[in-house]
Amino acid sequence: MKFYYFHLMPYIMDHDAPSSWVTLSNRHYDPGLGHTLYNQYLDQFEHAERLGWDGLCVNEHHQNCYGTMPSPNVMAAMLVRRTSRAKIAILGNGLSLRDNPLRVAEEIAMLDVVSGGRVISGFVRGISAEYFSTAVNPTHSRDRFYEAAELIVRAWTEEGPFPFDGRYYRYPYVNPWPRPLQKPHPPVWCPSQGSTETVEWAARRRFPYLMVFTPIKRIVQIYGEYREACERFGYKASRYQLTVNVPVVVAESDAKARELAQKHVMWVFNVGLRMHPPFWRPPGYMTEASLRRLLANPPKLPSELTFEEAERDGYLIYGSPATVRDKLRIFADELQAGILCTAMNGGSHERTLELIQLFAEEVMPHFREDAHVDETAGVGR
Amino acid sequence: MPAPRELSIRGTPIHMLQEGRGPALLFLHGAGGAGRWLPFQERLARSFSVYVPSHPGHGGSPAAEWIEHISDLAFHYLDLLDELGVERAHLVGASFGGWIAAEVATMASHRLASLVLIDPVGIRVDGWIYPFLFGLDIPEIVATVFHNPMAALALAPPDQSVETLALQYRQGAALARVAWNPHLYDPLLRRRLGRIATPTLLCWGAHDKVAPIAPCGETWAREIPGARLRVFADSGHVPHLEEPEAVAEAVCEFVRLRGGAA
Repeated sequence: MKFYYFHLMPYIMDHDAPSSWVTLSNRHYDPGLGHTLYNQYLDQFEHAERLGWDGLCVNEHHQNCYGTMPSPNVMAAMLVRRTSRAKIAILGNGLSLRDNPLRVAEEIAMLDVVSGGRVISGFVRGISAEYFSTAVNPTHSRDRFYEAAELIVRAWTEEGPFPFDGRYYRYPYVNPWPRPLQKPHPPVWCPSQGSTETVEWAARRRFPYLMVFTPIKRIVQIYGEYREACERFGYKASRYQLTVNVPVVVAESDAKARELAQKHVMWVFNVGLRMHPPFWRPPGYMTEASLRRLLANPPKLPSELTFEEAERDGYLIYGSPATVRDKLRIFADELQAGILCTAMNGGSHERTLELIQLFAEEVMPHFREDAHVDETAGVGR
Repeated sequence: MPAPRELSIRGTPIHMLQEGRGPALLFLHGAGGAGRWLPFQERLARSFSVYVPSHPGHGGSPAAEWIEHISDLAFHYLDLLDELGVERAHLVGASFGGWIAAEVATMASHRLASLVLIDPVGIRVDGWIYPFLFGLDIPEIVATVFHNPMAALALAPPDQSVETLALQYRQGAALARVAWNPHLYDPLLRRRLGRIATPTLLCWGAHDKVAPIAPCGETWAREIPGARLRVFADSGHVPHLEEPEAVAEAVCEFVRLRGGAA
């Protein structure tokens, strides 16, 4: 199994505003503290690489305290020059949110060339609240996503210049310099929330599928659908097409890990994902079929999730190294997921560095049957 | 309430309510107002043949993927007049429906016997930004749209079933397709209002918080040649729901004075 260190770069704070997204005033953001946090977070990434983690993951979110990386490519650029081995996974660029998605093709190609071909390019639509922050019409979200993805892959793989005349994006000359180093192009991952349409889209293109902060039962269901779709498209899904993203807290003992998880992981759900109800459901972002599927079995709002429920439903994993190894077997053996992305938060920078190290030394070595496999070979393109 | 009638307008299926005798009056509803036959329509039906279609994606009318701009809806209603064989109609539109009605009037005033706009949105007004309705929850919407919150009960959903929630989502999506960004206006409409050549009445709630009379109502009154402005003292954004009798009377009186039958 491969292990990717994932970061939201949260601005951890308590507040009693109704929403941590879109409307939480940025007067709460202290740039001086932000300076310290950004640099600590980047140190955590570099620390993870030195300890043998396989990949480092950044991502895009706007106008919230949950994750302060509105431009993931900026963070990836910093990591590219400070690391030499780990994959740099951008999970991902919110394609539908861009008015000029060719910029994504250019920036990813720049990162790929500078890094010597270590970049993984996630394509996302952006979560619901992003449509309020960027004012992009959510009823165009899906079609803009498909169109931008097609444009970017063509820009990476076809000799330019060529014209592109889409419904949302139109260019008389598509001819980006530089071209990416990886051939035919950097692997594309598809982090998503399990809509039928996206599962099909990703499976058809061999784009690895990634579910973030999802209960284990639903991951099993969606991965089943993804594997089935791959078979319908005439191939068997590689285990490196299935990535799980689950927060892990590993500590000296189960009790200590439980305490850290309760305090720090739950912040992400209870505060970080607290959202004014309309921001969860912009009109037309989902198809009506997906909406009906959701309404038939409505998931609990993250802000209302209790620690006991989060534990029971597999939203998080915690324990001593031995316990965490056991729990990860579900992903590795039963789910046959090839990659685990995980964020860690020990409550302080120093403690977080310790968790990253403990995991690398006491957990990762037990899952290294595939140490010499390149997880990006033949997938994502 | 009359039974909904199913029609196909150039291949787009819709539901429409229809009742009354007299000259044709087409009423274009606002967001959340589809498929309602309320005291306002009841009163108008005493003097007019009242047609109340649900916009595609609203009420019983299925979503229409081809609609991507407000002018698509305006053409859709010109097509409806053709389909009904109505050469000239009195056109009344409220809020979002007022926006569509104004677009129709800039395109084809000759098809209109008169125009009544009730707290319309649809133009960019200097010094005003419409509150972002899609970001409001139900209590915030009621507080923003209504001066008298009891009037909101007429539009309250019957239940919280999957069907009801799916309908609300479909209506929100149909509105968002044409009104998310720019929010609730067409940048080209304001400079075209000068083309409106049909007698126009603007009805405005004194306490409108979506499109306040100053500066919104005043701007419309300036831009549409010869338009009259009537203010309804006990109303917010939806006077036809908050003071239905008074607004219906105002419509009838306006039409009578302009020489139409009412």
